[in-house]
Amino acid sequence: MTEWNKLVDRERKTVSPRVFTDLEVYRAEQERVFGHCWLYVAHETQLAHAGDFVTNWMGEEPVVVTRDLTGRVRVFINSCRHRGMRVCRVDEGNTRVFQCPYHGWTYDVQGRLVGVPQYQESYYGELRKEEWGLLEAPRVESYRGMIFASFDAGIESLDTYLGEMKWYLDIVLNRTAGGWTVLPGVHKWTLKGNWKLAAEQFGGDNYHVTAAHESMGRLGLVPPGKTSGDEPWVRDFQVRTDKGHGWINLAIADPPAITESIGAYQARVQREARQRLQPAQSALVGCAHVGTIFPNCSLLFFAGFLTVRLWHPRGPDRMEVWSWGLVETDAPPAVAALARKMHILTFSPSGIFEQDDGEMWGECVETMGGVYRRRFPLNYQMGAGHGRQDPEKPGLIHPPSTEIGVFGFYERWHALMTESQKGER
Amino acid sequence: MSEGDLGREFEKLLYYEAWLLDHDRLEEWLALFADTVRYWAPVRTNVGRGREELSRDCLLAYFDDDKAGLTMRVQRIRTGAAYADEPPARVRHFVSNIQLLEANGDRATVASNFMVFKSRRGREETLFVGCREDRWRRIDGAWKIEERLIILDHDVLENLTVLF
Repeated sequence: MTEWNKLVDRERKTVSPRVFTDLEVYRAEQERVFGHCWLYVAHETQLAHAGDFVTNWMGEEPVVVTRDLTGRVRVFINSCRHRGMRVCRVDEGNTRVFQCPYHGWTYDVQGRLVGVPQYQESYYGELRKEEWGLLEAPRVESYRGMIFASFDAGIESLDTYLGEMKWYLDIVLNRTAGGWTVLPGVHKWTLKGNWKLAAEQFGGDNYHVTAAHESMGRLGLVPPGKTSGDEPWVRDFQVRTDKGHGWINLAIADPPAITESIGAYQARVQREARQRLQPAQSALVGCAHVGTIFPNCSLLFFAGFLTVRLWHPRGPDRMEVWSWGLVETDAPPAVAALARKMHILTFSPSGIFEQDDGEMWGECVETMGGVYRRRFPLNYQMGAGHGRQDPEKPGLIHPPSTEIGVFGFYERWHALMTESQKGER
Repeated sequence: MSEGDLGREFEKLLYYEAWLLDHDRLEEWLALFADTVRYWAPVRTNVGRGREELSRDCLLAYFDDDKAGLTMRVQRIRTGAAYADEPPARVRHFVSNIQLLEANGDRATVASNFMVFKSRRGREETLFVGCREDRWRRIDGAWKIEERLIILDHDVLENLTVLF
């Protein structure tokens, strides 16, 4: 039996290996965490027109995210109400109906069951179609283009859920009036490893950069260690926000502009960003940013591109990463093309940074699940008790490196895992 | 040179290239590419038959490298600290179905299929399957690849540490 209250030790700042390896923990997590959080499902630029749809996952539930004919975004469980067959079998498109290929039940983009073959002959006209529409996530809300959905009808608003994280997200999402546009296509790859190891790294682990990405350091492409003096508190820091979200601010200069026009665009965007943002946010323009929105959505802004990704759970020791590339909507083609190429070179499945991370998460779960090893917890003590409040910034600030933000992720996770199991069936 | 002879020449070149990759002779492998090369592998999408557009503008890709990008990948491996391939995997490239699609003086387009088997660390064994379309150009008497389009048959990949 799992002793749920011992999985995370809030006093000692440790986490049990079972959190990453145990099937019973994993199954409970699907309900208690993925069933009661806001989960990222799509970006508004993927659903420009009525009838546009993309498929995705919310935890282990396949969903289809659609803009219906009234303009409202809806998130349907991609499963026919009759036998459960997948009703939408392509990754993206535009449609007026979703027709199940098994027996032909047909739903409109509002999710209503509108077509039942042999309705008179075999159902005698008695099937109450209005009761058998597609199941849908009861809550769908968006924040600056990012659409989230929740299975929990009673969950707090997305705005409240994001909490202090919004202030940091805005530095990236509110840089320009035009915002971000998703490039076509999705990077999808499976990795050995528990999804939380990836989420925690983006949410507050820049400690790994020097070692895990040592190859990039040796090529002179990662700045050496942390800076000294007061600068770390100002531009080179990590944040523990409320609700388990984490943010990393890295004082890495933008890469040198390859052409004059790219340089001019970068300068213009930075000027616009400084005008749009509050002064304390403006001071962070020109940095790289990495963050995790609890539980499994991460962002990375670096070298002019933004990647938004989901760490889809696929069992305790497996994850499937879905990662989108975004460029600034008003970026000239040459700027967008460069951002796209930088994204592919650095943080795609072949990325010269990304590859290293994928290696670590797999071997962590491979080794820590043994009957002896799993008795001994993992250490998340770095920086505990040394965070600071900053009058101008929300959250608890700490220069690199610290694990107070990462541990906040696990405290949030643990709270959900141990709360009364609301709505569990 | 007859078309048959030219076809056999590219067959030999592609086998030689695979041999270089399988024997960690990556610097020699790099020399097969023109300085202006585009080496790219667009992502795959599940859509209706005939609707997938691999040349779609700005479509994401698993690779989209120029010579500098490819060179950086090789230099990174040579640091000995690229941990996703250190200790290195055992990799074997199989090339088949080689077809000379077009030949015109110093230019030729050659298609081929590949299977790449990767094994490391006891449990991790991966197979990558796909085809390539290479545009070759004779520069100073030697054939160089100016563009390599890699079409992978997977829509969900694994950690992509191999070169095609």
